[in-house]
Amino acid sequence: MNINKSNPLLLHPLNKWMKKKKWSWFPHQIETYHHVRTGSDVVVFAPTGAGKTLTGFINPIDDLIKLKKFKGLHTLYISPLKSLANDIVRNLEKPIKELDLNISFQVRTGDTTPYKKQKQKQKPPNILITTPESLALLNSYENAKEFFHNLKYIIIDEIHTFLDNKRADLLSLNIERLQTFSPNLQRIGLSATLKNKLDAKKWLCRKKPKIVSYENSVLPKIKILESKERIPWSGHMATYSINEIYKEIMKSKLTIIFVNTRAQAEYMFKNLWLINKKKLKIAVHHGSLEKNLRLKVENNLSKGLVDCVVATSSLELGLDYGDVEKIIQVGAPKGINRLLQRVGRSNHNLNTPSKAILVPTNRFEFIEAKAAIEEIKKNNLDKIDLKEGSFDVVAQHIFATACAGQFDINDLYKEIIKAYPYKKLKLNDFKQLINLIQDGGYVLKNYDQFKRIFQLRENKNIYKLVHKRETRKYRMNVGTIIENPMLKIKLGTKTLGNIEEVFIQNLSQGDSFIFAGQVLEFQSMKNNLVQVKRSKSLISKIPSYSGGRMPLSTNLANSVRSLLAKSNMWDLYPEQITEWLKRQKNISKIPKKDEYLVEQFPRKKIFYTVIYTFAGWHANQTLGFLLLRGFKEFNYKPLGFVANDYAIVLWSLKEVKEIKTILNLGLLDKHLDNYLEETSIVKRLFRDNAIISCLIERRLPGMEKTGKQVLFNSDLIYTVLKKNEPDHILLKSSYEDAKKNMIDYDRLREILKKIDKKIILKQLTSISPLAVPIILEINRENLSKNETDEYILEDLENEILKEANVLSIN
Amino acid sequence: MYYQLINFGNEEFHAYPNKSLYWKRLNTLIVSDLHIGKSISYAKNKQFLPPYDTKEILNKIFVSLDKIKPSNFIIVGDLLHDVFSTLSLKDQDHKNLSQYMKNTDFIWIKGNHDKNIQIEGFKKFTNYKIEKFLFTHTPIETSLFQICGHYHPKVKISHRGKTIFKTSFVHNEKIFILPSFGILTGGLDINSKQISDVLGKKNLSIYPVGNDKVYKL
Repeated sequence: MNINKSNPLLLHPLNKWMKKKKWSWFPHQIETYHHVRTGSDVVVFAPTGAGKTLTGFINPIDDLIKLKKFKGLHTLYISPLKSLANDIVRNLEKPIKELDLNISFQVRTGDTTPYKKQKQKQKPPNILITTPESLALLNSYENAKEFFHNLKYIIIDEIHTFLDNKRADLLSLNIERLQTFSPNLQRIGLSATLKNKLDAKKWLCRKKPKIVSYENSVLPKIKILESKERIPWSGHMATYSINEIYKEIMKSKLTIIFVNTRAQAEYMFKNLWLINKKKLKIAVHHGSLEKNLRLKVENNLSKGLVDCVVATSSLELGLDYGDVEKIIQVGAPKGINRLLQRVGRSNHNLNTPSKAILVPTNRFEFIEAKAAIEEIKKNNLDKIDLKEGSFDVVAQHIFATACAGQFDINDLYKEIIKAYPYKKLKLNDFKQLINLIQDGGYVLKNYDQFKRIFQLRENKNIYKLVHKRETRKYRMNVGTIIENPMLKIKLGTKTLGNIEEVFIQNLSQGDSFIFAGQVLEFQSMKNNLVQVKRSKSLISKIPSYSGGRMPLSTNLANSVRSLLAKSNMWDLYPEQITEWLKRQKNISKIPKKDEYLVEQFPRKKIFYTVIYTFAGWHANQTLGFLLLRGFKEFNYKPLGFVANDYAIVLWSLKEVKEIKTILNLGLLDKHLDNYLEETSIVKRLFRDNAIISCLIERRLPGMEKTGKQVLFNSDLIYTVLKKNEPDHILLKSSYEDAKKNMIDYDRLREILKKIDKKIILKQLTSISPLAVPIILEINRENLSKNETDEYILEDLENEILKEANVLSIN
Repeated sequence: MYYQLINFGNEEFHAYPNKSLYWKRLNTLIVSDLHIGKSISYAKNKQFLPPYDTKEILNKIFVSLDKIKPSNFIIVGDLLHDVFSTLSLKDQDHKNLSQYMKNTDFIWIKGNHDKNIQIEGFKKFTNYKIEKFLFTHTPIETSLFQICGHYHPKVKISHRGKTIFKTSFVHNEKIFILPSFGILTGGLDINSKQISDVLGKKNLSIYPVGNDKVYKL
């Protein structure tokens, strides 16, 4: 088919603008236009720079022009980030203004003023750009049906970020609601390239589902930073290579340095400034910074007013900063998709490759970086596993539904199970969730006179909100993102951002720490505000953020394993890495792709067992706890364990002789329930569940409640509930969440199913080279980090390296 | 049950991990801030906490009374959470209470939450004096030793880089504050202004409550 001749888009209202810009239509844009026009729901997969946003708007704009002066809301655009929503508006503005099209469009997020929101409700624009949370809120208004009844299109941007979490659950429920309001509604999903495209289609599409895919043939150019320094054995800060990173920044016009945690961001930023002799303009960007500070950095970035920005995943999505020339990823990539997303931030031109440099912060990360580069060459992406929807989100949705007006529970149930994550929701569970919203859903009926929603006497299937003021409580509780208890940081009267309460509790007056790239001295804490002043102290702590752990993807983990086993590749690595692996081969073994190496050795009268699972931190953490119990049963007197993405090390007073008997599926079946009960995992998830399901409020109106108190109360509720009503729906919900997210149950199960036949057991006389990184982590975790401890650490490191006989490898 | 020996006003008291205090010489058991019916009063505002708090608090009381068989049982305030709280006391609860009242005097010091409510069998007072000790919900101007409640004290303990909060018994030379005996009740940091205004900051004896042991700091 000759696209140019049969291209219907040549007649599209935007064609004139495209011509003026000397752009031509992409094949996937033509295809999408066709499918949507013929009534299909479509998911479009395309890399950054392939006009994805425009692709979504082609049909709506066409429609709106043909309909002439369409009144009311026509198209809804859902963006995963507020900042991205603003960016979309800017991009939409250009063609619409330049062509003088009669189409109105506005943005609506948590940052939109109440006045504007009110106006939007009275006189909706043709195109509304919003977020899942704002959509949920819109659906909770009494006039939601009127507002949406003419809606023709819903566009979900970056749909790949919406497939496996509670936000996705919330969004899927609200899309079904829109479909009820406007049965002709068509869905368009825009996604980065995915491995399991069919899953995304299943999640979104209902009408004649179609996939449109555009693969970029130009591969990104990714290399590992060539460093003259030695790559550290363990740790996650790239101090060793700071000068080389600085040189890379100087070589490019505009660089984004991506790191994995907020703490790393602060650390990297500080260290770059210490050597910033050329006075480069370097900025920092992460999710805890005050909105205005973040916006300022984003603005400077898009105008090219900075030389380098150090960022976390906060700058990962969508935003088009045309002039970024180079991406530097510091630390492990953790997953192929994530790395590609980050690399795609540079150079939004499809025909020239993006450029990226990886900086491993320790030796395992070097292998991981290498593996990631290999997989990208093969275009082997990570799979995103769709998950069954969480109960608590349904509860919140029921509450929202009640806020919009009385409802029939059978209709609601039928609508909910149309949403992909809730296909398997049982009617019985749904009814329990109705009861949960009604009065907590307890077996003991104490609250008959205090219900939040009630059944109509004349029709027991119809429920109604007791009082209108409850809508306010719903609106304060909407959303699925629960932050850890945070406190605002004030420098004078200026707010710098938020910091975790746990971190502040460990500080004394006069202690200094780094935040927003500045060294600050802690002065006082009053009314949930942390007062600080600038400090010149050289010794400072870096706040840690507990949410920062990204698990290693299974795909990349497998790749790391096979790469490790390919000894013919080793000679291509830096000498220090080659030496490390060769010695491992001589002293112990390099596990093959499907083998599980277990090493055991004594050290200072303590027995160590190291298991290389490559299962990711969550699964390894769980396995560590289970093994601890298993070891206790066999009376090995275990003392503790440490896990990272690749391995677990346990240490015990007695020699572990029966590891093969202990390490199998039975371990999981036998101890998992106990484990969940003993650790605070389910308890912590219960807090999120209780808040999301609106059982407890995030903040009571008129009461000064800190996040901490919510945690405290939910702990009490958990304990009382567990004792009196262990089958309560919220406990079930929390338990399911734990299995899905926190303990990597399925992944661990897969490994334990086959592990007993694949264990390679090595009895050693001392630490093996491969075990050095994780053994060093034991000491890191067990020592607090002030200045003197660093010397102790260094001492220990030398001692351990000597024992492992690898001291001579740099 | 293990207890922690506390010397206050030259008398021996036993602090129990269930957050009650026992005065052995006078065979008197003391508790504070039960907040019975807290769940009901939250339900009024559509916060549906598990409705088992009253049942659990009463059970805790009955277990203690069975074990210790005190002559006096003193509640130093906030027996109830608010005017709705009596709704959570069922007929059977009243029957059980009256059984225990046959052998034990139930003395109820009025707390700020208690309002003007009477419950059969409870002897209600604003404060109550035994020898040189005054039982009162919050401290007043007096030269007597005072045993109070109200503040739900908890203590912040930082150790090896970790910070935890533990419910505590706490006293200075003249004033003793009991922790809350309730199930769904939170706590207030001993270093907070409200508590240090009463106890001061120095020479405090602090007894954090563990799972089955009361510690001494």
